[in-house]
Amino acid sequence: MSSATDNSAYNNKDNDASLDVNTRSTNAQLPSRSFHVEQLEDRDRYMTLSIGPQHPGSGHMRIIVVVDGDIIVSADPDVGYVHRGEEKMSESRTFVQNVPHIERPVIHDSSNILYSYCLAVEELIGLQTPERAKYLRAILAEIDRIQYTLYWLAILGIFIGHSTMFMWATADRELFVELADMASGNRITHSYIIPGGVRNDLPDVFADKAFKFIDYFERKRLPEYHKIFYDNPLFRQRSEGVGVLSRSDAISLGVTGSVLRASGIDYDVRKREPYDIYSDIEFEVPISKAGDSFARSILPIYDIQQSINIIRQCLAKMPPSGQIRAKLQPNPRGPPGEAYRRVESGRGALGHYIVSDGTPKPYRHKMSVPSVRNLTAMPHLLKGARLADLPVIYWSLNIWPVEIER
Amino acid sequence: MEEPQSQKSFRNLIDPGAGFGAFVGKLGDALVKAIDRPLGYAVNWGRIFSLWPVHLETGCCSVELGAASSPRYDLERYGVLEAFGSLRQCDLIIVLGTVNRKMAPRLRLVYDQMPEPKYVIAMGACAITGGLYFDSYNVLPGVDNVLPADVHVPGCPPRPETLIQGIMLLQEKIKRDQLK
Repeated sequence: MSSATDNSAYNNKDNDASLDVNTRSTNAQLPSRSFHVEQLEDRDRYMTLSIGPQHPGSGHMRIIVVVDGDIIVSADPDVGYVHRGEEKMSESRTFVQNVPHIERPVIHDSSNILYSYCLAVEELIGLQTPERAKYLRAILAEIDRIQYTLYWLAILGIFIGHSTMFMWATADRELFVELADMASGNRITHSYIIPGGVRNDLPDVFADKAFKFIDYFERKRLPEYHKIFYDNPLFRQRSEGVGVLSRSDAISLGVTGSVLRASGIDYDVRKREPYDIYSDIEFEVPISKAGDSFARSILPIYDIQQSINIIRQCLAKMPPSGQIRAKLQPNPRGPPGEAYRRVESGRGALGHYIVSDGTPKPYRHKMSVPSVRNLTAMPHLLKGARLADLPVIYWSLNIWPVEIER
Repeated sequence: MEEPQSQKSFRNLIDPGAGFGAFVGKLGDALVKAIDRPLGYAVNWGRIFSLWPVHLETGCCSVELGAASSPRYDLERYGVLEAFGSLRQCDLIIVLGTVNRKMAPRLRLVYDQMPEPKYVIAMGACAITGGLYFDSYNVLPGVDNVLPADVHVPGCPPRPETLIQGIMLLQEKIKRDQLK
């Protein structure tokens, strides 16, 4: 009798050992996961892979992937490796002291995440931004959009094995980083946009240099990107028809930005709810109806061209001189209330929701970031895809993992 | 029965007194010292120009590491090339900014799996003291309690030039390493 029980125990153990070790450990750590391999009848078919955090293709997060041979059965993003509690930290700092740490979640798109925060704070306090400051803000926001997109493109290139795209995009990005450095004094975390305006004025030589860099980039470099990357048959084979997000799925999953526009929905916050000077500026919103990884990869390049147009128009239309920031009290405070303002960042609609109780510090601060919305589409798209398509689908969703966790 | 004189001298040659043994020991030390310097120099020279960092992104300083690997700053001319392969082939770990409570055990696990000799660069204010997030509930006040950092690179984030200077400081440190 005892030998029989011993034997069955041994058999159970043996069955468990034939499963992947990761399956048991991850299920033990995360009991509330939606997908359980152990509950399936034919569980020996499946294998659980843990991609990240120490993995070249995963960024700052971990993706728990269950595969059946080469086909992905379920993909579960495991975030929290960079969670820093920014929203809680905001409650112990004044509105102006919050500026430096709010741009840290996306340090290479820092102007845009700060832009919506400043718009919300201005609405709470009741500040009027001077006209020249609005143009300066738009210039920096567009420069950051370009350099963010180029860095994202570099990462997309290197993770699908295209090293040339990494080298070219990071090299061209330095032009725009240099422009931002010239305007603000720091390469990527500039804290340039502050509540009530901008921190300092542009140097005299900025406009000449900006036109020079932009012309060089638009005429010499951008056509080359199409030649080396987008018209590359290898990249086309890997991305066309891979991870197709239909129009109705895009709406129901709530994705934003270039992912939404790639699925055929004409949505851009700069057009829908124009903030500051974007109502006076002419630009187009490129959209595509394909919805696959290729469309998601190529749309940001067209966005870059529109950003270049916006910078040109801003530099031409800008008032030649004038005030660049509104007068602020030492600890600015407004009446109790709440404000939600959003902008179009490099990844999509980005909003800040601030509740004030009349003190100089926010009572509650919530960031509504686009990376989270685009991440929700990832498990949906990866289900049924091949494991080799994971980097293309994951990085074409235009996600910056640090921003997910804030 | 006494040994013949010839055999006695032969045995003396094989098994000399204490004085001769000490002499041989000193000779050995001198030989080790004589080899140690040039051999150590050669080994350290080899290590200096092939630092392979692990690809583990702990925070947002990874953007500046990417910029430092770009053609403008070109970290590869110092022999630093990010290893996309196994961490068993790496000998450098660049802590890229914030280390939080969830990442710290994983960071230590990665460090423990790396073979000796291994070096650590703490990049950014967050990796040194916690930086901007000194009062955050989820961020460690510096990486020093998790890993022994060789070089601290200040900045938030450090410019690529600063990171390159930190790597040159690490190379100076490796040059002075003793061969064990």
